[in-house]
Amino acid sequence: MDLVFTNIVNGLMLGALYAIVSVGLTLVFGIVKVINFAHGEFLMVSMFLVYLVTTFFGVHPYFSLILVLPAAFVMGMLVQRLLIEPLQNSDEHIMIFATVGLSIALINLMLLIFGPDILNTPSSGLRQPVNIGSGMFLTGQLNILICAIAVVGGIHLFLTRTQLGRSIRATGQNRSAAQLMGINVSWIYMVTFGIGAACVGLAAVLIAPLYPTSPEVGQYFVLLSFVVVVMGGLGSITGALVASMIIGLVDAFAGFYLGANVKDLVVFGIFLLVLIFRPQGLFGGARNLSHVS
Amino acid sequence: MPSQKQTTRAPALLRALGVDNSADMRGTLYVLLLLAALLLTPIVVGDDFVYHVFITICLFAGLATAWNIVGGFAGQLSLGHAMYYGIGAYTGMILVNAGITPWIGMFVGAAVSAVVGVLIAYPCFRLKGPFYALASIAFLEVFHVLAIELKWLTGGATGKMVPLQVGWEWMIFRERLPSLIIVFGMLCFTLVVAQVIRHRRLGFYLIATRERESAARAAGIPTVRVRIYAAAISAALVSILGTFHAMYLTFIEPDAAFNLVFSIQIVLFALVGGIGTVFGPLLGAILLVPITEISRGLLGASALGLHGFVYGVILMLVVVFMPDGIVRVLPQRLRAAMDPEEFDDTRGEALDDEAMGEMHPESVKTGERPPVGREVLRVDHLVKNFGGLAVTQDVSLTLREGEVLGIIGPNGAGKTTLFNMLSGFLAADGGSVAVMDANGNVHQPQTPADFVGLGVGRTFQIVQPFASMTVEENIMVGAFHRHPGVDAARAAAREIAEELGMARYLHEEARNLPIGGLKRLEVARVMAMRPRILLLDEVMAGINPSDLLEAIRLIKAIRDTGVSIIAIEHVMRAVMDLSDRVVVINSGAVIAEGDPETVVRDEAVIEAYLGKEHGNA
Repeated sequence: MDLVFTNIVNGLMLGALYAIVSVGLTLVFGIVKVINFAHGEFLMVSMFLVYLVTTFFGVHPYFSLILVLPAAFVMGMLVQRLLIEPLQNSDEHIMIFATVGLSIALINLMLLIFGPDILNTPSSGLRQPVNIGSGMFLTGQLNILICAIAVVGGIHLFLTRTQLGRSIRATGQNRSAAQLMGINVSWIYMVTFGIGAACVGLAAVLIAPLYPTSPEVGQYFVLLSFVVVVMGGLGSITGALVASMIIGLVDAFAGFYLGANVKDLVVFGIFLLVLIFRPQGLFGGARNLSHVS
Repeated sequence: MPSQKQTTRAPALLRALGVDNSADMRGTLYVLLLLAALLLTPIVVGDDFVYHVFITICLFAGLATAWNIVGGFAGQLSLGHAMYYGIGAYTGMILVNAGITPWIGMFVGAAVSAVVGVLIAYPCFRLKGPFYALASIAFLEVFHVLAIELKWLTGGATGKMVPLQVGWEWMIFRERLPSLIIVFGMLCFTLVVAQVIRHRRLGFYLIATRERESAARAAGIPTVRVRIYAAAISAALVSILGTFHAMYLTFIEPDAAFNLVFSIQIVLFALVGGIGTVFGPLLGAILLVPITEISRGLLGASALGLHGFVYGVILMLVVVFMPDGIVRVLPQRLRAAMDPEEFDDTRGEALDDEAMGEMHPESVKTGERPPVGREVLRVDHLVKNFGGLAVTQDVSLTLREGEVLGIIGPNGAGKTTLFNMLSGFLAADGGSVAVMDANGNVHQPQTPADFVGLGVGRTFQIVQPFASMTVEENIMVGAFHRHPGVDAARAAAREIAEELGMARYLHEEARNLPIGGLKRLEVARVMAMRPRILLLDEVMAGINPSDLLEAIRLIKAIRDTGVSIIAIEHVMRAVMDLSDRVVVINSGAVIAEGDPETVVRDEAVIEAYLGKEHGNA
């Protein structure tokens, strides 16, 4: 029983981690209709930024948010403007290659600059364990959980309650109709991409003190992000949150009982089953897929 | 502009490879020169590093060419092809350690890869674009983990080495030349396979399926099966190259063999050269491999990540500025060489409707009309609901041999839904569709393939051309139904094009045709299948009045060859002129049936079209 509780706590913490990384990915997909294969590299670059700011100024890692958040936002906007927008009307596969190319370029750029070594952002007390019964987690992990829920709720409110949010949703549902309503679609896409990237920036600030930073770190997270985002229904933010928790729990239990590598088999096995049998996600209707095919 | 195709006939051996005219022969010459340079340059230079670069070029050119069969021809963006490379590498490595020569091992690996390819392709054939890419990445990761976990088989994360044995039988050599010869041979073999597929029915079927799946099914293409064939062939070829590379490297490990970036590199070469073309991937590898290999050779470990960075940047630049690859920007002649099937399309200017006006068939042959015969199609109490909406309620009708049955009804009456059930695209919720074959036996077909097999052909209301194929190729896709051979299909397609007055536009890409031309192409494609029963869905809509007369004459001519026709039509002039009987459908039910004159005076029909007041007036 204790073990089960330990794993549940562990799973929820992992789930929160996947959720905070995936929110931006699913938002961008839902609105811009692009699966951003470079999403993990946004996280990786942001984590390097957190490391640099934290070590250079000697501040608490959370402090770097002031710089990292706008930087990530601008990075997202630039990628949309310079890479995605020129390809808006081309084939689907072209878009895949574009972001795949960006992903490879960013990984190797960081490899060129920082080398293959692992960098550790100072944890500044965020690795302090908290015990609840047999469960144990780090304070930093708890912060991730809180932020994940806050971000999902915040984006939901933003999309439903503000004029900009409504414009974003309108653009996501029908680009031409939104354009006819006087919405500057190109700007909306840039803003959306920016917000998606900023979510990753926030994730990086929260993750960097807990996990080592390396050029490959994005690859590790992005595959799991794809899993939860597809499971939750591409474009559905709350779906992604729920799916993150499910995958987090699966991850924790499978990792505990079956070992680290077999755990990956289980996760990817679930992913493939979802892709093949419910490509619209576990919770979404067929609607989520309609704009993809 | 007369086509060059008929000027010279190529020798039979070359024709088997799809080289069938003087331009293709010239293209073949270019390709052969390129390949000769690939083999001879390192031999002449004699430097070890140069050998290595050219071996790597051949390897990646082969891998990219093989990938292209699935990624280009079939349009399924696999980012997991490294898994077949890895399977080939590991199978060869494991067997060589067991004392079995890689010359056998590579075929064992190819067989395993083909089976894996089929097992993956079957459930994934419906996934499109990014979803297919994601699934392929997930499968690659699964194999990566398996390679690490199955230690007794693979040696786990530390990898596996070849035993120390040198010589041709072990595919391991002290000097580089034999390796070059082997990989060069594999590359040539892969190119031949790709070329043959592209020029045979399978290639046409793959591209048609990629372009428009529903139109492909309507043309009788077994869309799932052709994709599975493509997956198996592609996987086997990649695997063979994997076995070679393992022997060449003498060492493999899971991280290198089942590597996502390696997969992406394969795709990159194909993309840079030109996806979907036969020789584009070769060109891509020739251009890119030296850049990266030389930069790696010169800068070594000090530039860790440099070649990956260059790849990434090239990938982005290519998709933004040259998405069709280098082949498309080559001068016409060279382009013809690299992409022989496409060489003769015109400059790609869109035709306007005026140009299409000249497409009048000079003489639609009108023969004696045969008498209306026995029943060929019978619909009994057909029912279809979409959720709570009863789209088809208890529709029954019959069609006789040589008869034209008009179906009219207001928009949303359920006419197209009915057609979809008469061609196997939708399964009915109740009732039955029976089709009599040529011998009068009754069948109850279910799938589009069943219907096509019984000689039921259909057109689509919203035209579904295979946009990137030429008019001739579009019609050939239909003609393949009766003529499996390319030459026979081409001849049949030309004949049909002649009949329908499209002969001048044979080599125009379908995407350049105006709507009237596309409608005609739709008819041409289905006529190439020589259907016994023809379902026409609003083929007259949007045709200008002068073409209308021609189109009516054309359909009469088709009828007079004994084809039975059901035509959904809004153009009343055509309906009145063509139909022997008319069925009126409203809100999913038949509200009137009879000869055209009686039906248009029917009160219920007038009411359905114009409302109650008009009906009373």
